[in-house]
Amino acid sequence: MELNQFLILSAFIFAVGVYGVLARRNGVLVLMSVELMLNAVNLNLIAFSAFNQNINGQIFALFIIAVAAAEVGVGLAIILLIYRNLRSPDLDQVEQLKG
Amino acid sequence: MNPVIDYHALAPEIVLSVTIILCLLVDLFIPDRPRLVPQLASLGVLAAIIPVLTLAVSGTDVSMFGGAFVVDNYALAFDGLFLVVAYITLLVSFDEIADGDYYGGEYYVLLLTSVLGMVMMASSRDLVSIFIALETISIPTFVLAGWRKHDTKSNEAAIKYFLIGVLSSAVMLYGMSLIFGFANGTKLSVISEYSAGSPPALFAVAIFLTIVGFAFKVSAVPFHFWAPDTYEGAPLPVTAFLSVASKAAGFVALLTIIRFGFFNSSDSWQPLIWVLAAASMTFGNLAALRQTNIVRMLAYSSIAQGGFILVPLAVAGDVSGPSAWEAVLVYLMIYAAMNLGAFAVVMAVSRRTHSTEISSFAGLGRVDSVNAVMLSLFMFSLAGIPPLAGWFAKFVIFRAVFDAGTTAAVVLGVIAALNAVVAFFYYSNVVRRMWFDEAPEVVSSPRPASVALTLAIGITVVVVVVVGVYPEVFARLGQLAFASG
Amino acid sequence: MTEFYREYLAVAVLIGAALALVGLMLGVGKLIRPVRPQADKYITYEAGSDPVGGWGQSNVRYYVYALLFVIFDVEAVFIFPWAVGLEPLGIFGLVEMVVFILILVLGLVYAWRKGVLRWA
Repeated sequence: MELNQFLILSAFIFAVGVYGVLARRNGVLVLMSVELMLNAVNLNLIAFSAFNQNINGQIFALFIIAVAAAEVGVGLAIILLIYRNLRSPDLDQVEQLKG
Repeated sequence: MNPVIDYHALAPEIVLSVTIILCLLVDLFIPDRPRLVPQLASLGVLAAIIPVLTLAVSGTDVSMFGGAFVVDNYALAFDGLFLVVAYITLLVSFDEIADGDYYGGEYYVLLLTSVLGMVMMASSRDLVSIFIALETISIPTFVLAGWRKHDTKSNEAAIKYFLIGVLSSAVMLYGMSLIFGFANGTKLSVISEYSAGSPPALFAVAIFLTIVGFAFKVSAVPFHFWAPDTYEGAPLPVTAFLSVASKAAGFVALLTIIRFGFFNSSDSWQPLIWVLAAASMTFGNLAALRQTNIVRMLAYSSIAQGGFILVPLAVAGDVSGPSAWEAVLVYLMIYAAMNLGAFAVVMAVSRRTHSTEISSFAGLGRVDSVNAVMLSLFMFSLAGIPPLAGWFAKFVIFRAVFDAGTTAAVVLGVIAALNAVVAFFYYSNVVRRMWFDEAPEVVSSPRPASVALTLAIGITVVVVVVVGVYPEVFARLGQLAFASG
Repeated sequence: MTEFYREYLAVAVLIGAALALVGLMLGVGKLIRPVRPQADKYITYEAGSDPVGGWGQSNVRYYVYALLFVIFDVEAVFIFPWAVGLEPLGIFGLVEMVVFILILVLGLVYAWRKGVLRWA
């Protein structure tokens, strides 16, 4: 097995996630892009874990999955709240505070 | 096979966890007594301080879970700081939360959960436990920032804070995953051993990404843009908590990971922290100069103060003794007291004026001279004027810079000194307007400040004055915390 | 070429075969079918009824169920590795897991007391 393929794939997924966060204006899509970034991290950890025969990476990945679930729960709740108040999930409309 | 668990060493965390569960249950099953939950929460925080004290007296270091969780003087010092800050935050929260028509019980549960994460953070010595602690701190604060559900400003504060929070976590985790791959371990001691060898250039990238993640958390320039908006939109007690406790926790994470993990590859992180420190101080102060809202001004001022806290970290690799680490701890303790105090006074005044614009503080000296004196003390302390505690915070920073003695350190010291002068202008501007300007029209329906809020102002002002006159109190604490390490 | 890449050659062949097959079927269909365009034929097919258009809004109440699902989802993530090491951990492991699940149950109790579980 070769490590580089996984690292390249993970770097690619991470880059797609970063692009999504920067380019997307819909709150839910931004959230999904962050999830992509976290999954890239998980892929990294598991690839290293298998390559180095070190179980710690897999444990780390499990914690990331759990925390990501909690983050999405809170994030969706906030986006839902904004949708109720503004009738739009578009983050560009959330621009009252400046300066 | 079973892990050895020292329940005495875990007692602060256990007490807090039990308090959180009790608060939730009381809120669910005894809803007709709304004062019970805040009382329970403050009792729990005070009870959690007791084992911290007994552990400090016993003086033995405990290491658990294969070295991922360590209780030593370093951890206990920060535990104490976080718990005291939590107690003062609770004191300033009572009025604000009781006035609103929102769920009171959940507020205290979320706040204490965040504090639990902070107490865990101080003991974490492993990438996994640092990550878990950081998320336990952050996730409840996302909800707290959006506490005013129907206020779109509060919504905006929450979404901005949330998106930056998860984005920074993802970047930090990517760095951590690379570090795990290089060092073949998540324990900071393993990473420290690895970096003592000759790590490849990519290891520096991993360190860079990890530190950038933390830079978002401590709102260092250029990763600060969320802070003013979030601070302004969130309810005031939450803002006080974010700008003091949550920020301090970010610094503790940064301090821990640099001191125990990355220390040997100081070539990688020192320049990065140097740039962050210089940019945060300069930009934070310049932006604070032109603010008209005191909460936004305090937000930018806290970015600048964060820059000052980064200064000793930026030179830590060149300091032989522990003076750089001590400087971070002492600065954080003093900053916590003066910033919480400033926010408490702003809350007390805005209960009467219903405004946080600086113009609404004009003439306060005649209308409400006690609060005006208090706010003047906190502002001068933040500016670093003797004999208030702020000068000692600045003093320990410059001492660390001179201990390092390198050219980079001296240049950073000069930038810090210039910034201290700039900062004086906007802090003193508030004071000037309070004492020399005419008071604006009287606003209707004042709500008097409660005993709790007054107590919070009292505690912080005593700390600011006493530590300013007898700085040995905190200096000794700093030495004890880093004595063995 | 290493063994690893050679294994991937099979995947490439499979992808090529799949593309060729789909192309062939669509191409042959295009050649022999009659073409009589009508506006009605281009409407999105929606279970036989008239399409409503735009994105359908799913009921907000489903969101709460999704959140409750997360509770048990996370439970599973941690129970699997625990189950693998159950034997050596013994009673200690059992007690730890009971505490963990009780804390998660607290989340469910919260949802129940706040009336989230009622479909009203």
